[in-house]
Amino acid sequence: MTDVDLFLQTLVSTVTQGSILALISIGMTLVYGTLRVLNMAQGAMVMLGGFAAYTTLQVVSVPVWTTIIVAVLVTFVLGVLTYFIAVKPLLGRPGVDFEMTAFISTFAAATIIQNVCLLVFGPRQKPFDPVIPGLIEITGAVSITYHTLLMNVVAIGALVALGLFLSRSRYGLAITAVAQNLEAARLMGIPARRAYATTMGIAAALAGIGGVLLAPSYFVSPNAGDLPLLQSLIVVIFAGLGSVKGTIYAAYIIGFIQSAVSIYWGTAYALPVLYVVILVVLVIRPYGLAGKPQEARL
Amino acid sequence: MTTGNTTAAPRSRGVSLMRSVGWPRLRPVEMVVVCVLAGLLPFALTSSFWLGTLTLALIWMVLNMSWNLVLGYSGIWNFGQMAIYAIGGYAAALASERLSLPAPVGLLIGALAAMLVSIALAIPSLRLRGIYVSLLTFGFAEVIRLLIITDKSGITGGPFGIGDFAGFGLEAGTPETTRALYWIALVAVIGTAIVMYLIIRSPLGTGLMALRDNPALAAARGISPRRYQTVSFAISGFFAGLAGGLYAYTYGVISPSVMGLGPMTLLVTMLVVGGLGTQTGPIVGTLIITLVSTRLEPYPEARLILLSVVLLAIILVLPRGVVPVVGRLRLRLSSWVNAGTGGGTKKKRPPAKKRPPAKAEPPSAPDGG
Repeated sequence: MTDVDLFLQTLVSTVTQGSILALISIGMTLVYGTLRVLNMAQGAMVMLGGFAAYTTLQVVSVPVWTTIIVAVLVTFVLGVLTYFIAVKPLLGRPGVDFEMTAFISTFAAATIIQNVCLLVFGPRQKPFDPVIPGLIEITGAVSITYHTLLMNVVAIGALVALGLFLSRSRYGLAITAVAQNLEAARLMGIPARRAYATTMGIAAALAGIGGVLLAPSYFVSPNAGDLPLLQSLIVVIFAGLGSVKGTIYAAYIIGFIQSAVSIYWGTAYALPVLYVVILVVLVIRPYGLAGKPQEARL
Repeated sequence: MTTGNTTAAPRSRGVSLMRSVGWPRLRPVEMVVVCVLAGLLPFALTSSFWLGTLTLALIWMVLNMSWNLVLGYSGIWNFGQMAIYAIGGYAAALASERLSLPAPVGLLIGALAAMLVSIALAIPSLRLRGIYVSLLTFGFAEVIRLLIITDKSGITGGPFGIGDFAGFGLEAGTPETTRALYWIALVAVIGTAIVMYLIIRSPLGTGLMALRDNPALAAARGISPRRYQTVSFAISGFFAGLAGGLYAYTYGVISPSVMGLGPMTLLVTMLVVGGLGTQTGPIVGTLIITLVSTRLEPYPEARLILLSVVLLAIILVLPRGVVPVVGRLRLRLSSWVNAGTGGGTKKKRPPAKKRPPAKAEPPSAPDGG
């Protein structure tokens, strides 16, 4: 491959990885901003999105794109369920470090979901067809599959829709208000707990979309959520938890580093290099690119 | 410092102060009885399977006690301990494989290597607060695991690990060996428990708890957060590495499968069930969860599900673990007995009930040695 080809390939890969990473990590940062919970179940939701789509295709013969809707519904419900089972009982409990216990309880919920899937579907990786088959050739060596294009369109579309939801709709504004200032939002009569449940559901649904989009390249398996979880953890630390805009920038930066390292050096180096990068970022800016120092809440 | 006050004050005031500070009380008779019983157990227990299970539990106790120092007492969200443990195991295994050093030296090398890595991890971690520390340390552990799995240089043996070293140099499989391994692990547990007890009773332990409960005030009283917490990382890393070395030498193998999400879930469950920030919590939790998880061994698919359900239930119902609850019940029982024998003298209610549990409450008040 020529240098131009490598560069183009890096560019395509950056945009794709960045969009998917943004989709998954926005959920985490949204949940952290509103609830002060680091949602370790986000990876499990990615995996579940893939399984929901896979199962739908096994049961009924529908166009592949409709499975995205099924995945969104399933993961939304499970996200809300995770909130009611694993997070809500811990809210406002005296004498308990809420962030720490909620971190562990969402982690436990993720392990349960993952192992139930392992029990039901078995450990084998399931193949998953691209949502739209076919590809466009740019140069002789570089091509973009229609699926990659669709990944970008859906991911960016979902992010725009989320942005509109958060800034225009009633429920979205409630979430934004709670994230900005819990006390003030409560005094204005915003039901904070309902905003919490919606946030967890939306975050899970975003991860579910990501899961379907990733399914053709990473396959559907009970461990499919581990790598996305780790990557989005890196993105949210890099960005600073709670900052939506910072997360989008960080997702593309991390996506770029990851694609460039994978293409020029090899996939095995991608995570260690990313780790060194966030190490440096954190040592220089302990709260990430756009994060603010944490304050105690709840 | 508080230690000065306790020695100056009369004995009874000293004891009550000790309790309110959250120092564990020593129960010498019970502790000696438990140690002797544990030491004599191999003579009563003929099943080498259960003895082997208990040996693994003892190794995990050392790891959990070391983890408890950072996670429970210092309140630093270090989720990289499994990597430190594995590094200790790998260093000890390499010392035995490459240099054929005797077992005690190999264990020491493993522990020191783990300590150095732990200090190196502490430097960036201590710049951060709360949740960011957990992200950083968790990421660190995953990267170490991936690096070992993808290692092709032949030093760590990649995904298969290292399996060809002398270790303790005992003949494999005989009942005597099983017993000897059990006793070695038991000695390590008792040693670690004594060191942890002394640390928590020392100004270092008091300083760590003060930094956990009120960082600003503690720092204003002259406790350097970075120095104290780095020391706690170092000590914790040392014992985690010791546990790793013990694991490698006991089983004659060390591989990347000792770390990762699955084992970490198991160990976090043990710590949470027992009670973070208590002396006996890691021991009790490890014992309970090891027995439960061994019972579930025939159903490997359901095992992690059930363990996670236990973890979720405990953290929702008893967020501070089993040990503080037992301690509180015991205190209530003894005050009830005292009220009965002492005639009409009204005893004060147990302090755990009296004090409204604020965020800064020392979690280990009614805890045994």
